[in-house]
Amino acid sequence: MLSTTALRREWLSNLRGDILAGIVVALALIPEAIGFSIIAGVDPKVGLYASFSIAVITALVGGRPGMISAATAAIAVLVVPLIRDHGVEYLFAATILMGILQIAAGFLRLDLLMQYVSTSVVTGFVNALAILIFVAQLPQLIDVTWITYAMVAGGLAIIYLFPRLTKAVPSPLVAIIVLTVISIYGGLKVNTVGDMGHLPTALPYFFIPDVPFTFETLKIIFPFSLTMAIVGLLESLMTAHIVDDLTDTPSNKRRECKGQGIANFITGFFGGMGGCAMIGQSVINVKSGGSTRLSTFVAGSFLLFLIVVLGPLVSQIPMPSLVAVMIMVSIGTFSWKSIAEIRTNPWQSSVVMIATVVVVVWTHDLAQGVLAGVILSGLFFAGKVRDMFTVTSRLSRDGATRTYRFSGQVFFASTERFAEAFDFREVVDHVIIDASDAHFWDISAIASLDHAIHKFRREGASVEVVGLNKPSATMVDRFASHDKAEEGQNS
Amino acid sequence: MKRILACIDASSYAHSVCDLTIWAAKRMKAEVEVLHVVKRTDAVAARKDLSGAIGLGVKTELLEELTRIDEAESKQAIEQGRVLLGDAQARLARAGISKINRLHRHGDIVETIIEREADADLVVVGKRGATSESASDTIGTKIEQVVRSSIKPVLIASRKIQKPEIAVIALDGSSAAAKAVDFVAASPLFVGIEVHLVVAGPKSSVESSWFVKAYSKLAGRLPSCIIHIVDGSPEKVVGDYVRNLSNAVLVMGAYGHSPLRTLVFGSTTTAMIREARVPVLLLR
Repeated sequence: MLSTTALRREWLSNLRGDILAGIVVALALIPEAIGFSIIAGVDPKVGLYASFSIAVITALVGGRPGMISAATAAIAVLVVPLIRDHGVEYLFAATILMGILQIAAGFLRLDLLMQYVSTSVVTGFVNALAILIFVAQLPQLIDVTWITYAMVAGGLAIIYLFPRLTKAVPSPLVAIIVLTVISIYGGLKVNTVGDMGHLPTALPYFFIPDVPFTFETLKIIFPFSLTMAIVGLLESLMTAHIVDDLTDTPSNKRRECKGQGIANFITGFFGGMGGCAMIGQSVINVKSGGSTRLSTFVAGSFLLFLIVVLGPLVSQIPMPSLVAVMIMVSIGTFSWKSIAEIRTNPWQSSVVMIATVVVVVWTHDLAQGVLAGVILSGLFFAGKVRDMFTVTSRLSRDGATRTYRFSGQVFFASTERFAEAFDFREVVDHVIIDASDAHFWDISAIASLDHAIHKFRREGASVEVVGLNKPSATMVDRFASHDKAEEGQNS
Repeated sequence: MKRILACIDASSYAHSVCDLTIWAAKRMKAEVEVLHVVKRTDAVAARKDLSGAIGLGVKTELLEELTRIDEAESKQAIEQGRVLLGDAQARLARAGISKINRLHRHGDIVETIIEREADADLVVVGKRGATSESASDTIGTKIEQVVRSSIKPVLIASRKIQKPEIAVIALDGSSAAAKAVDFVAASPLFVGIEVHLVVAGPKSSVESSWFVKAYSKLAGRLPSCIIHIVDGSPEKVVGDYVRNLSNAVLVMGAYGHSPLRTLVFGSTTTAMIREARVPVLLLR
């Protein structure tokens, strides 16, 4: 019975706010869906259908109420080569496979891997995404007349200044309408949405993508599907985290993985491209008062209504107005705080953040950027822990016994310092290695302990290891070659 | 030791919840947990901004603003809740209840009550909450959710409370009604209290097996019970009967039908709670 309470809360707790926010978001979905369909090299309807289908399905089965998912920039930039070389049918097939991979990731609890993605990597990801969105607008701004620049500037001015007048209507909508009216009545020569490709006139319908069902096909689409699945999940989980923070409510990340998968799987069959959660639009949603599944659902359905019913009008929208909206999304997505913090954060964090951004902008692949960031932050962490290592040594009064006292972490990165601590040339009868405050983490550490003990023996000294803590002693028992097992236990 | 969960909010029902709790706690020799839930209205919904424009540092700014709204509201709500809990505790203590535990929680009202009832033997709530207080002749939306989700006996306080001296059992053939009879027969709550069995149906109902079974359970106790059988719809028969008994508590099995059926035909239970001007004890 509790589920009815939860259902009510997730759908109906905030009717007015959710419906209004959903409408605002639907308007902000159009530029991204159209703009990135064009960049991916397909008809705008592919992105628009995808946005409708993904938004509606994630509203029903996603794990983060109030988050907006649709056709996104992050996925679109990945599929450009696939469409160029093989055609759009392969995109649909890749989207279906992407969905299957994401569902599998949900079952395998791969969302937990997000724990290894540090704040700096997340910031880098978000900034890189903003840059990708911005850069994608440049083709519309090259080789055009001054009218285009004027319209973009005018659009941005309306978007940011109009809210000072009233916050009751979405200012991006006002910008789009005003610019459309001006361009129609002024007869201005600028690109319109209609020039970019066909808009849909009918509802999406189910079909099986027209690709040969062979291993060859799988070989073509699998690498794309895999990257799409990873990037989609990364952006979705990061966005979920942002929405969690903003609304101060928890979300089910595992369910979100599966929800994204289900959405993409179904979308592929309806002629849509893959998508994921959108940071900018989700922030717009929360800012406009949306917080439940209803707002996502309204966003998707209203989008479909707009394109099917108002299609002829939508095709007359001048591209510069959409460019202005996307520049706004890019600005809102970018973490401006992180620029100021580059100088104040630890230098390692800043390097990780910048490296993530650079790799993404270089490769146009957010997954590679995150991988680079995660590896770098791992290395930096190892470097920091490696420094938590000290050694002191003491010679007994009779000069026959040398005690080495280690403290800190002994692992692959610190074994060299561990080995350097011993003075093998010193003539003593007895060597005590006191590891009371140390921890041996891996087989590299055990190997270098072995190495030291053997070396002392060859110099004619007897060696005793004392004070091993339990996990370290277990490691020694299992992996060491020197016969120290009993002494390890004696101590 | 038995425990009673008394749920209060800012409505005028808080007093009758306390008084009813005192009555029940003394009879059951139970300790009392007084619960008040702080439910803040959604800060996201509270902002009136449909501009949809996102600019420099929007995420940080928005988070700060939402936190500010919630913070201000929570502080006020917490303070108010503390006063309510303090009043309730004082009222209970004056009546001689010694073991009182105050509980102040954040969250959803229904979910929190269900969470806390696990340790309780009886839940006491008001007929309406603060949000729907002025609408008389209705039952609070949360109450129905609580009763539907609850597995413990729920005692619903009416606005005015007299010390209950009569237990009116609304009897039909359902297993929930049989449970109500069992409860009245066994619970210390009703020791020495007059029982009235009310049946909405033909006079021949006295011969049906469920009636005989129910009557035999109550027959041995003192004072023995009064039987009232009138043909008609349950809410009307029972409603008319308790209207003239201001010192009664109505006992009945609750929500025998599925939520779907209720959606179509309306719920008898809800109708009876709405009609009754006396406390109602619901058993599932």
